[in-house]
Formats: sequence, structure tokens, C-alpha cells
Amino acid sequence: MSEIKRSVSLYSYQDEYYDGKLDLEGALRETAATGATGVELLAEQMIKRFPKPIETEEFREKWFGWLKKYNLEPSCYDAFLENRIFDNRTLSLGEQINMMKRDIRLASLLGFPNLRTLVSTPMDVIEGSLEYAEKMGVKIGLEVHAPFSLNSGWADGYMEMINRTGTKFFGFIPDMGIFCRNIPDVVRDKARRKGAKEECIKIVDDAYAKRIAKGFVKIKYDLNLGKANMEYRMANGMQEMMDAVKNAGGGPADMEYAGSSFTYSWSEPQDIIDNIDYIFHTHAKFYNMHEDYTETAVAIPEVVDAFKKAGYKGFLSSEYEGGEHLRADMEVDSIEQVRRHQEALRRAIEE
Amino acid sequence: MAGRVVFNPQAFANVEKDGKTVGFSFETKAQYYRGITLSIVRDIKINIDGEDVKREDIRFSVNGETFTLEEMRTVIDSDYRWEFGEYAVVTVLKEGGLSKGKHHIKALQVIAPSYMPFQIESMNEADFEI
Repeated sequence: MSEIKRSVSLYSYQDEYYDGKLDLEGALRETAATGATGVELLAEQMIKRFPKPIETEEFREKWFGWLKKYNLEPSCYDAFLENRIFDNRTLSLGEQINMMKRDIRLASLLGFPNLRTLVSTPMDVIEGSLEYAEKMGVKIGLEVHAPFSLNSGWADGYMEMINRTGTKFFGFIPDMGIFCRNIPDVVRDKARRKGAKEECIKIVDDAYAKRIAKGFVKIKYDLNLGKANMEYRMANGMQEMMDAVKNAGGGPADMEYAGSSFTYSWSEPQDIIDNIDYIFHTHAKFYNMHEDYTETAVAIPEVVDAFKKAGYKGFLSSEYEGGEHLRADMEVDSIEQVRRHQEALRRAIEE
Repeated sequence: MAGRVVFNPQAFANVEKDGKTVGFSFETKAQYYRGITLSIVRDIKINIDGEDVKREDIRFSVNGETFTLEEMRTVIDSDYRWEFGEYAVVTVLKEGGLSKGKHHIKALQVIAPSYMPFQIESMNEADFEI
């Protein structure tokens, strides 16, 4: 029997929260109703006047009271290192480390054993926070989100640091958007509603299939993320695809669909097995769960199988990201989407 | 992350002060998925019925405090964030306000989350009546 646990990132419920249909407690209640036992939080999304309330016992009593009431365990705290909080400069190294330590402390106050940091966090800031992370018992996980991937020149930069420092308090948080077999249907349907041509959609879908068949050229380690990203896109055939769409008479909706194809990528599930010693939390990203519990793009069974083979004991945390392709034109039902996704995860884990 | 309905349809109104109409105001949420310090709102551009509003005529209020766009550059206090899903009140100083009847607003939000290699620029439009 696998020891993989299921969590929900409250990011998933953002549309209901935005519309005032769910508050923080409501989101926790819905999480528990899916059968998940873990909860992931973006404090800046659902705790007003961040970070003040987290510092108060009054709020923490409420928080831990809810966790007890709904039988939930904190899985991961999603931090945003706002190192360009002022428009005239980037915070100094010391300031950034202090901000990271603040976030580690906040995570610990709310009982989270893991903190998600983003790829824009400089290596020096991570390294400078490791001792404090260890003291507080909070692991720092770097989100591996498309266009980034494990087993890449980019990941090697971090592996070097892990090996050099011997730290057990830093690793990777893969986002399952790096295991997309195709562009999600909700993205294609949105392009159609905006007037994209079938011919152009096919060019883009074929280009994506070709990227998978050839193997994605991986992104390099470069703190200049804009530059690294553009090189990555070019190496994966962006120019040819864009030219083909243009030649087929593609308009703005077609170009947007073509550009969005780089939001998704395909890595081999074997990457999970190869890196399992450095993975302690996972974003189970998804875009559209169908009634039959299949996901439009993410290879859920294959990826979960890799986690099982690797003996993973952490959380798979549902992260619904389909709402942004629907909300301008129709109602978003994150609650039903997460329910289906949790059921799909449960089946993949248990069967 | 786009596509949210950001305007409060009930809140477009002229603003009175000491018996005079000094401008108009509206309420808007951020086209983004978390609460932010006002310092990372790098610009707000407003166009009413085809006419651009001057930057210095814009006031931005959250939690009962009002800032100019210039002042917002350094606002990082946790009590004065643009909270996720909450309206900020935007006031445009304009003698006499807007005429009674129908109008069209285009409001551009420029938000710069530090982790993104580019700023998020989202144009939001609505028809409204005074």
C-alpha cells in the first residue's frame, strides 16, 4: 500500500473566494469534503492584512481550530519572495534573506513543514536561509514549473548546491504541468471562442506533439528568466510555429494560442524517480477534469505510478488552474473540479 | 489569470465635496490571484469615453486611506494592501464630475509581481451609467 498522501492547494478555489462564495474556512471545509487530508495555503491570497494576523495568537487559534474541525494537516506554505517590492531597486541579499526567514517563520507558525519558493529566488538567498530553515523545521522547496524541468541544466545548478552544502532542507516541488501530453482542452476551447482558426489550432497542436516526440530542449540555469525563457522557446521551435500560424492567416487569437503552448511541457515521469530524494511535496496541477475522471492534459496515472515506484511519502496537492480559461465566458466550478481530481488521484494511488 | 470581472457595477458615481462635484469614483478588484502591496501596482491608466485621465488626478483608496499613484510606490504596510477579491476605490478628480447618462471606462492595471520576468498589464472595460 502506497504512503502517498493527498492535499488540496487553496489556490484551486480562487474563483469562489474572489466572488465571495467561499472564505478561508469554507475553502478548508471543501478541501476536507474531497477526502484530502492535507491543505496547502497561499497566505497572501486568503489571509487579509498579511502577514499581521499570522503573528497573533487569536488568528492561529482559529486556524488550528479549523484544521482540527476538518481533520486537515498543513502540507505546504506558498511564499512569494517580493524582492522587487520597490520599483527603484531589488532588495539587497541581506534584505532578501530576512524576507525568506520571515516567510519560513510564518510557515512554521501555521504548522507547515514545507515552504514553496519560486524560481526567481536567487541561490544565495536560499543558501543563506538554510540554517534557519533547519532550526525551524521547515523545508524549502523550489517549484519546478514549465518551462523548467528536473534532470536539466537548470536543475543541475541546484543539485550542485545541495551536494556542496549537504542540506536536507532544500529540494524540489514538481508541478505536474510539466507532464502535459497535449495542450489542455480548455485553452483550445477558449481560443475557439475568441475566433481562432481550426487550421492554426492544428499547426499549434502538431507543433506541441512534435516537441514531445523530439523531446523538449531543456531550459538553462540563468537568473535572467526572460532571456532563459526566450532561448528555451526558440530552441523548441517557436519561430517555425509562429511563422506557420502567420502564413495560415492567423490573427490575435491564433497567435495567443500558439504562445500559450509554451505554458505546458512534457518531462518523462522517470524524472520523478531519479530525483525522489529531493522531492518532499508536489503540486498536482490540473486544467480540466472530465466526468469520467480523466484529465485533459496531465498524465495522472503514469506520473502517480512513478511516485509509487519511487516510494514517495509526501503529498500530491491538487492545484486547479482551469478557471482562468473559463471565467470570462462562463461559471467556474472549482469545487467539482477538485472533487473529481482528488478521486482521480485516489484511484491512481490506491489501484 | 485574466478574465475576472473587476468592476463593482453598483459603484460608479460622482463624488461630492462641500456641496460641489469634484470628480467621480469607481470600485475595482485586481486582475491577479493574491493580495499585494500597493508598491507593486506600477500604474493605473484610465480612459473615460475616449479621453485619457491625467495620472496626477487619480486617487487610490484601500481600507479608508487614500494615496496618489506616486505615493503608492512606497506603500508596503500590511493594513493597506490591495486584498485578493476586495475592491479598491479609485477616484478621478474632475470638476463637475461626469454628466448624467451612459459612459464607457477603460482602466489598465499594471502589476509587477517580483517573480515574473514581465509586468502584468490588464485592460478592463465596462459600460456604466451615472
